[in-house]
Amino acid sequence: MIDEPYRWVEAISNRREYIENELAPGSPTIGLSFSDGILLLTFGRDRRKIFEIYDRIAMGGIGHPGDIERLRMMAIELASTEGFTRSAADVSLRRMATYSFSPVLKQAFEQIYGAPYLARLLFAEVGESQEEDLFVRLDYDGAMHANAMSAGKRRESFGAIAGTRRGLEQVESVLSRAKISNLRNALETAIRAWGAGLYASDEDHAEAPEEPALKQFLKSRLEQYTIEAAVLERGTAGSHAGFVEVPEADLEPVLSKFR
Amino acid sequence: MDGPNQSSPLAGDFLAVLKQRKLVNDVPHNAGHRSELKETTATTILGFKFAGGVLVAGDRRATSGNVVMYDRADKVLEIDRHSVMAIAGSPATAWEMARILEHSFQFYRRSQLQEMSVEGKVRALSKLLRDNLGMVIQGVGVVVPLFATYDKKSSDPAKVFFYDAMGAQFEATDFASSGSGAPAVRSVLYYENNWGAKPLRERGQEESILLALKALDTAAEADTATGGVDRHARIFPIIKIVTEAGVRTVGDDTLSELFQSQVA
Repeated sequence: MIDEPYRWVEAISNRREYIENELAPGSPTIGLSFSDGILLLTFGRDRRKIFEIYDRIAMGGIGHPGDIERLRMMAIELASTEGFTRSAADVSLRRMATYSFSPVLKQAFEQIYGAPYLARLLFAEVGESQEEDLFVRLDYDGAMHANAMSAGKRRESFGAIAGTRRGLEQVESVLSRAKISNLRNALETAIRAWGAGLYASDEDHAEAPEEPALKQFLKSRLEQYTIEAAVLERGTAGSHAGFVEVPEADLEPVLSKFR
Repeated sequence: MDGPNQSSPLAGDFLAVLKQRKLVNDVPHNAGHRSELKETTATTILGFKFAGGVLVAGDRRATSGNVVMYDRADKVLEIDRHSVMAIAGSPATAWEMARILEHSFQFYRRSQLQEMSVEGKVRALSKLLRDNLGMVIQGVGVVVPLFATYDKKSSDPAKVFFYDAMGAQFEATDFASSGSGAPAVRSVLYYENNWGAKPLRERGQEESILLALKALDTAAEADTATGGVDRHARIFPIIKIVTEAGVRTVGDDTLSELFQSQVA
């Protein structure tokens, strides 16, 4: 097959179509920066999807659990060995994504005799100030999108992944319009964005949801899904309390607004 | 770039990852040959249980033979939110062990999505000491640490463990000490626990800090390798307190005030 370029291109595009179909029903995962840190939020049905990677880094993923697990272990090993050999300050999401993850994902995707990673990942790294928060989206083919790695670009204070491109656009449009002041309103915004993303993933929903439709949709989905939310706390460089799950007591008042 | 760690049959083993990537060196075995190297050593360390948890303290001196190498050594190291390791012996080996230990516990928590048990943590340090056997036989790089932790799940949550240089682990009922000044400290703590105003376990935080300062002062009186309090340079022992709320380092201001009013 390798000596027939056309067949290779065909195989790659089949593979892309297959993976996109598999990822399409995935529930969006959202990273949103606010004054005290970064909120990571998603809703799931059966398994955990937001993970601590290192002192200032966390990860969320949609796709096959086995593949997400392999990539998660890779991230923890990379960060831990770097942090041990050099220092925690040398562990950087930018380096990890650019030099390790992107090439590994691309190689697996293009080696058509091997299995690709069926996964789409969102990484978040909390900075000393909100302007330094970094979000990186990595796709199964190694494609990378960051909120801020090039100069002169307007920085987004969020990052997200969704099952489909349309879903992602909806999530991002909700997030980019929001003004975030504290955890409570970050939670509220992220839940809305999640709902809008999941709504748009449905092929019957060509248009963005109107307010009453979104409310109705969220209400019905909250009955099927359970929330998962964690915060990467800002300014804890010297301590171990970077990644903290948001306690039930903080989630309940916000969730009840949508029920 | 390789996938998940396959080198160890144990999931979540950070030391195996380091070894696989050749980021730690195995200690060369050179049995029977004792080194002439004058290494830097350190110490008096102690740990005891008090009413709110466990207190761990250490002096600040590092020596090499007769020479004082350093008078600001930190021998009481926070390993995680509820664990502290105090080191006696060679800092070169001990600080590296502490680093491995700290990363091992975090690596386990992050990769396995649960906290390592207290038994597992105590055993992890024991394994590091055993791995150091080659050095011990050569007479350099010997480490004899203390490990203290607060185990919320246990009915007796404050825990102090002490080790020998080969990695045998012992759980202390009330107190433990290690290093060249240990005999003096041990006597002070034994006396106070049995015939003092009240048993160590019933003492409050301030009383306990005071006792730790007095015990270290007693050790420094006779042992040249133990640093006393240097009031001019404001060098005080390191005292850490482990309670249900986590690890807290007692500030120099508190130590200075207590020392001046009740020790000196």
